[in-house]
Amino acid sequence: MRIFGRKVSKEFFSIIDKNFSLNWSIEKVHLGFSVKGFVRGKPGKVEVLRMDAPKRVLAGGWQSWSNFKVLDTKGQTFKSRDWKYRDTPVPSEKHLSDYFIAFEGTVVGFLSSRFAHPYFEVEDDQIVAYLDYFDSYFEEYIPIEPLVVLEAKSTPLILEIYSRMIAKENHVVLRKEKPIGWSSWYQYFSNLEWPDVLMNLEMAGEFPIEVFQIDDSYEMDIGDWYETKPGFPSLEIIAETIKERGFKPGIWLAPFSVSESSKIFKEHPNWVVKENGKPKVAYRNWGKDVYALDLSNEEVLNWLQDLFYNLRKMGYEFFKIDFLFAGAIPGERKTAESPIASYKRGMKVIKKVAGGAFILGCGAPLVPSAGLVDGMRISEDTAPYWDAENEEISAKYALRNGITRYFFHKRLWYNDPDCLILRDDSRLSKEQRKIYALVSGTLDGLIFLSDDLRKLSEDERNLLKKALDISGGKPRVENVMDDSMRYEITSRGSRSGNVHLVVDLESSEYKLEVDNSFRIDKREKLRDDGRKFYFYGEVS
Amino acid sequence: MQELRFNPITGEWVIVSTATQRRPVRPSNVECPICPGGMEFPDVESYDIVVFENRYPSLLRNPPEVESNGIFKKKRAFGVCEVIVYTKDHNSSLSRMPLGQIEKLIRVWKDRTRDLYSLDFVKYVFIFENRGKEVGASLSHPHGQIYAFPFVPKRIEAKVEAMRKWYEENESCPVCDVLKNEDGERTVYENDSFIALVPFYARFPYEVHIYPKRHISTILELSEDEESDLARSIKTVVMKYDKLFDQEFPYMMMLFQSPLKEDVDHFFHFHIEFNPPKRDKDKIKWMASVETGTWTFINPVAPEEAARRLREVKV
Ligand SMILES: [Zn+2]
Ligand SMILES: [Zn+2]
Repeated sequence: MRIFGRKVSKEFFSIIDKNFSLNWSIEKVHLGFSVKGFVRGKPGKVEVLRMDAPKRVLAGGWQSWSNFKVLDTKGQTFKSRDWKYRDTPVPSEKHLSDYFIAFEGTVVGFLSSRFAHPYFEVEDDQIVAYLDYFDSYFEEYIPIEPLVVLEAKSTPLILEIYSRMIAKENHVVLRKEKPIGWSSWYQYFSNLEWPDVLMNLEMAGEFPIEVFQIDDSYEMDIGDWYETKPGFPSLEIIAETIKERGFKPGIWLAPFSVSESSKIFKEHPNWVVKENGKPKVAYRNWGKDVYALDLSNEEVLNWLQDLFYNLRKMGYEFFKIDFLFAGAIPGERKTAESPIASYKRGMKVIKKVAGGAFILGCGAPLVPSAGLVDGMRISEDTAPYWDAENEEISAKYALRNGITRYFFHKRLWYNDPDCLILRDDSRLSKEQRKIYALVSGTLDGLIFLSDDLRKLSEDERNLLKKALDISGGKPRVENVMDDSMRYEITSRGSRSGNVHLVVDLESSEYKLEVDNSFRIDKREKLRDDGRKFYFYGEVS
Repeated sequence: MQELRFNPITGEWVIVSTATQRRPVRPSNVECPICPGGMEFPDVESYDIVVFENRYPSLLRNPPEVESNGIFKKKRAFGVCEVIVYTKDHNSSLSRMPLGQIEKLIRVWKDRTRDLYSLDFVKYVFIFENRGKEVGASLSHPHGQIYAFPFVPKRIEAKVEAMRKWYEENESCPVCDVLKNEDGERTVYENDSFIALVPFYARFPYEVHIYPKRHISTILELSEDEESDLARSIKTVVMKYDKLFDQEFPYMMMLFQSPLKEDVDHFFHFHIEFNPPKRDKDKIKWMASVETGTWTFINPVAPEEAARRLREVKV
């Protein structure tokens, strides 16, 4: 193994390059070692570690929507999908993984992404870990993103430990509440109308829903968040109406995105990330080119701060902030700050003003968001159908990511495995809907419904109850390195006991066992003096 | 006053809790406060197992605000203190209780562990029983207690660190390694899933540890069969204790589970410690200067000899 081109030893090293200087040292950590150091100047793309490539690695891209799965390192050539940044900000044929890789009992991974983007490429028979500082220049020494190499007998164990180390490095404080909610998206998509909202609000009291979240649909344009589409009341009235019915108002927005047709882009064409001096298209969606806000620009940050301040004032308590990767794409910004540092700056502004509310990240770079979101989507969108060609959007592949990225949960944030679609008029079979709900429950992530609530039968309501009953434990995917799409998931100490769930995403079969070793009658009584009494066993 | 104070000389937290039992309490004609009809259960005719929040807890769900001042660091005394009444029978004990009742008690322990760890401020759940006036137990009615701490207490931290170190050096858990190397000389009792022994490193003369043979880190992992094996192990140990000197043997029984919110389960092996203060029928092994001041214990009875005596007590 070579680090910065040198043989590993326990000493302090420094590199003086014509563009930058870098000091680094190796420290022992639990089950492995870390490489830490400081850099200044214009480091660009720096090689950190080079090692022989194992045959197969668990690997994946940088953000919520990137697939995370077992890959063959031989003959692996990275294929950029329709949206380039859905997988990585540094696409190349050699690209293997962002942030970390895992193989039998080993994790090689970076603990932070504050300034640089950390990633792995395959070069011949070797895997090379890089830090890319893009074009940014650092006058003073800044810490490099620490790298760890960890080894243990069990791959899930080492992934969990790695995840905890990222949490510590980024000072993650897990939020107290993990809300249950409803989202409009997977029933209504962008066709949501105000009467649908009112009708579902009437029904929502029959479900254990706390957050009622309006998804992409209500807005006039991407970036013009204050203006609602014809047929919708104002954002204030939307929040008020939800609150009046006893729910926490939740709203979707893509705060770092502005569309080519938006007023904000027309008024402030200089607020966006550029390429060769011209606005750079971050991605295409809604039939439009979408640009990324330049979060190194103070004016933009002020606008962002006002936006979230106002939304909070209107009463919103839950934000699903989407397409966040836009804030971190490479390109020309107002200052020489790195795209990652800009992204974090934007996220910090949101957290500062809206931190009292629940912040759910989506389409978000993972490691830079640690400590800045309460919940995180860890998959591509689910869908009202099971399978798709080329691992494109579908329930099956969304759920696979929910399984393979299980170890982030409750360490970095609450994992969001995406909404449950429980109604029986979709193209999902009964077994497929059950699998999605039971896996999501066992893995203990966020549970959001996304159905016309009138359509849910007794069976489907019971399935929701079951999913909630088997949540609350400490989950583990025992065979996370298996690429057969058949997973063995356990959870210790769920609300109903220890859970053992074997699920086959290919055949849509599953076997759920919940042991009886927790069953005991319990009656809770609150005394006049405020003390809690619990009467267990036989009560007379 | 209810607060946590930090000792920068030892790096430990101290709970300052001056809540005293001066408040008037509704009088009751049942003398024992935790018997049915007693002070805590005035309107209850009977119960099976009850857990209730301590009347004068040292840790609170809603503790008063505190202000630190430089080196005089304080924290709010978040936490929960609970009492577990094992049975309605005042004169019972873990040695006399039916096995089924102890199995039920284990399920209650599980439920409390899960419940208390679900509170965001709880970092460690400590289940214990003080039995006998020698260890400060004022009530003879069989009961234990639970402290849900807002920090990982010092001795737990010491255990975590020692087990972590062993694991890093040996790629295995130290308790698993002890079990691999015990030859029976120190064994007091054994069944399919548990072993009760006077450990090689016993600090008290008749100290007994109960270790699960399978590497588990919390009681949440116990299967139904293991629950009944654990119940039998606990009952047998306490029965042997009671017959050793033909008297209700005082002890501190403590459950050591891993701090559930940390990722230490791979090297933390769940265990129960019985720390009895008696060195002989009428002699107490006091926690005096050496023990308290230096954390060094002088054990006047060879663990192998203590194990032989306890093994030979037929129950
Ligand atoms: Zn009593
Ligand atoms: Zn062990």
